[in-house]
Amino acid sequence: MYLYIYDSFLSDKKYSDLLSQIEKRVTDLGIKGRIARLSILKNMKELITDGIKSGVQTVVVIGNAQTFAKVINIVAGLEVVLGLIPVENDNKIAKMLGVPPKLLACDVIASRIIKKIDLGLINGHFFVGQAEINDANVLIEYDGYNVRPTTANNNITIYNFADRSIIPNSTPVDGVLEVVITPMKSGVFGKKNITGTILPFSKIKISAEDEEQVSILTDEQVIMKTPAEISVAPQKLRVIVGPERCFE
Amino acid sequence: MFGKKEAVVSTKNIETIIGPSVRVEGNFTGEGDLIIEGMLIGTLNTKNNLKIGSSAVVEATVKANNAFIAGRIKGNVTIKGRLEITSSAVIVGDIKAAILSIESGALIQGNVAMPFNEPKHDEHRPNPKKEVKRTENELAEGKLLES
Repeated sequence: MYLYIYDSFLSDKKYSDLLSQIEKRVTDLGIKGRIARLSILKNMKELITDGIKSGVQTVVVIGNAQTFAKVINIVAGLEVVLGLIPVENDNKIAKMLGVPPKLLACDVIASRIIKKIDLGLINGHFFVGQAEINDANVLIEYDGYNVRPTTANNNITIYNFADRSIIPNSTPVDGVLEVVITPMKSGVFGKKNITGTILPFSKIKISAEDEEQVSILTDEQVIMKTPAEISVAPQKLRVIVGPERCFE
Repeated sequence: MFGKKEAVVSTKNIETIIGPSVRVEGNFTGEGDLIIEGMLIGTLNTKNNLKIGSSAVVEATVKANNAFIAGRIKGNVTIKGRLEITSSAVIVGDIKAAILSIESGALIQGNVAMPFNEPKHDEHRPNPKKEVKRTENELAEGKLLES
């Protein structure tokens, strides 16, 4: 049984055509299910837990990157399969999973290629893509050693999966996360990246070297603060993926 | 191993890179191939290949499977397989490796040891059984020829 959750912003008139097209397509594909719309009175956690109680096995979320970041924290570890239908074209999570935007995503949902992927866990909050720290003086503690950037301006990114140009063998099914530390050097044509550091891990602790707390932005949506314990949650999410996904 | 092309540390298998803007302190253990361009203090252990770049400064006892060293090391280096030391390398410490290549210009202050397994003499001796058979055959052939 399918449960389709529409994010609250989709109540805007500009999405009504797209939503009716999606509803028609899922009916044609034989994957029609119950529809629930998020609002001020109905929150996502309530809808999903009620759905699971009434026999829902697949939760399909229609929305944007923020919607997906939210739903991952609810369904992680639950006995449901997650499907995503992005309404925007540049959704990084959807791209990694090989899910095309809008109407085309319905075909991917119908094909039901299910993969168990790892998630990152930062202070009890799950993230699927990356967590980022900009321009901060931090100490990264591993089991047995610690790492400190020695230059003033650094981008520190924790990846569950990264573009192959950044980490050649990055995949969200390997049971590890990677810290990438990239120094930013200002040149004539603005800032440029130089050789970075790539350190795989299963658990680390990040703390600020200065008195002020440092912000960590997860999946470009949620801001966490240092000190932060970051670990990998292996195979935590069962998700429907497309053939164009970035991993095996 | 690495040669001029540094072929062993292929970018496909690289799992860990310590860049020039990073300082690592403690007991570092890596499972995959490891490239160091920054600073490492403590101990360094990897079951795979290690490359210490020309800008790297390592103050640690180093253990690896194969290694290519172009930077500075203060500490003992133990390599299971092949160790290649380039002209820019400075090593203060004892070196132990099965196969060793040192480019002219490299600075080494310490003992260099290569485990030497003397081959058993028996390995090079022909199989006595075979020798006997051949002799018997030869004898038989000889008898036939005589008759």
